[in-house]
Amino acid sequence: MTDIHTLAGAYALDALDELERAAFDRHLRECAACATEVAELREAAARLADPTWSVPPPALRDRVLADIGRTRQVGPELPRPARRGAAPRWRRFAAAAAVVGLATAGGAAGAFAWQQRELRQERAVLAATRAEAARMQAVMTAPDARVHGGDLAGGGRITVVVSARENLGVVVLAAPPAEAGKVYQYWMLDGARPVSAAVLASGEHHSTRVLAGVQGMESFGVTVEPAGGSPTPSLPVRAGIPLV
Amino acid sequence: MTESGGAPGGRGRLTPVAPPAAAPLTPEALLAAVARGDEAAFARLYDATVPRVYGLVRRVLRDPAQAEEVVQEVMLEVWRTAARFEPARGSATGWILTMAHRRAVDRVRAEEASAARVLRVAAATVDVPYDDVVDRATGRLERQQVRHCLDALTDLQREAITLAYYGGHTYREVAALLDAGLPSIKTRMRDGLIRLRDCLGVEVSR
Repeated sequence: MTDIHTLAGAYALDALDELERAAFDRHLRECAACATEVAELREAAARLADPTWSVPPPALRDRVLADIGRTRQVGPELPRPARRGAAPRWRRFAAAAAVVGLATAGGAAGAFAWQQRELRQERAVLAATRAEAARMQAVMTAPDARVHGGDLAGGGRITVVVSARENLGVVVLAAPPAEAGKVYQYWMLDGARPVSAAVLASGEHHSTRVLAGVQGMESFGVTVEPAGGSPTPSLPVRAGIPLV
Repeated sequence: MTESGGAPGGRGRLTPVAPPAAAPLTPEALLAAVARGDEAAFARLYDATVPRVYGLVRRVLRDPAQAEEVVQEVMLEVWRTAARFEPARGSATGWILTMAHRRAVDRVRAEEASAARVLRVAAATVDVPYDDVVDRATGRLERQQVRHCLDALTDLQREAITLAYYGGHTYREVAALLDAGLPSIKTRMRDGLIRLRDCLGVEVSR
């Protein structure tokens, strides 16, 4: 029994906070035995509704039946590609986990160890998110904040807010998904050569990122690269935005 | 499931023959029909399940008006996502109640800090069923069984479970309310539910 597994009862009672609930949800996807136990505990918990039995006002029925008449139904869930489906999410977490010095599971590391770390990593992600929000705020409220923006070749828009004083920038991307197997990558140019500023995760095309070290940078670029990013930008450049 | 019990030849018919109105379809069969867009089946499923859904949501929220809103959302969600129900993971009623409970709890937590809720909870009277006559006539055995099984738990198990389920509290809050350690509350919730499961004879076919 892993530590997270002792949360099965609290989970079935909806007594976990959101972070733990999310971690446990993922745990469930990987642990068939736990899924069975939770299904049974949930079923038992649902029986606790029996003594609350109470007939609602008839008008509610009319409203609900009117509602369904104008509501489209969704289809059944198609079987998801097992296990590997978690990869993009994993990559997103990895960066934040590395920040706080947690071991990041490599491709070969077992799912078991990963599960145990999930909760801690969720917390790390939350902490990293908060730190990121604070940095974002620092840029946005800096007296010298300047807004630059431009359209992407191929659609979408990029907005870059920089503060030389904070030496930080906030980059907001709203663009169509990159081609299959490709990701967006950000670059900064100080005149000499482009330096990778960020490689977005696979599927990340609506994104807000904080970039450090913007001081002295002359322009900002966006390219589409193979997943994981490239050491140098591939042509065509989707957007090149002067920062001075 | 309009074809259940029908002749083998019925499958090819273009106009489905409506089952007699009184045909005792299970919630699972009704839900399957709902997944195919059967509005009449939905109405029957609504009637069969809504007293428990409403009762539970009202118990958690302590506010009839808000409870109605949440029940409306939940029942609409049942209609919308009926095709996502997986019979292998539990009963149709359990599925609906799980959805209802989560929504009720989410709403409680969203307004946790609001003074309005504190006042409402303080002012809330004991649950009075909307229709006491029907209440007494229906499902009495099931309710008694649940009460009996709750009584069979240890005090800490029962309090931990009811504070979480009816009160919408997280296990951390429950631990604070009961002045108990987190590991102990986690454990009591789990072994309490296991005991409840066994007492109620709950089974999930997989």
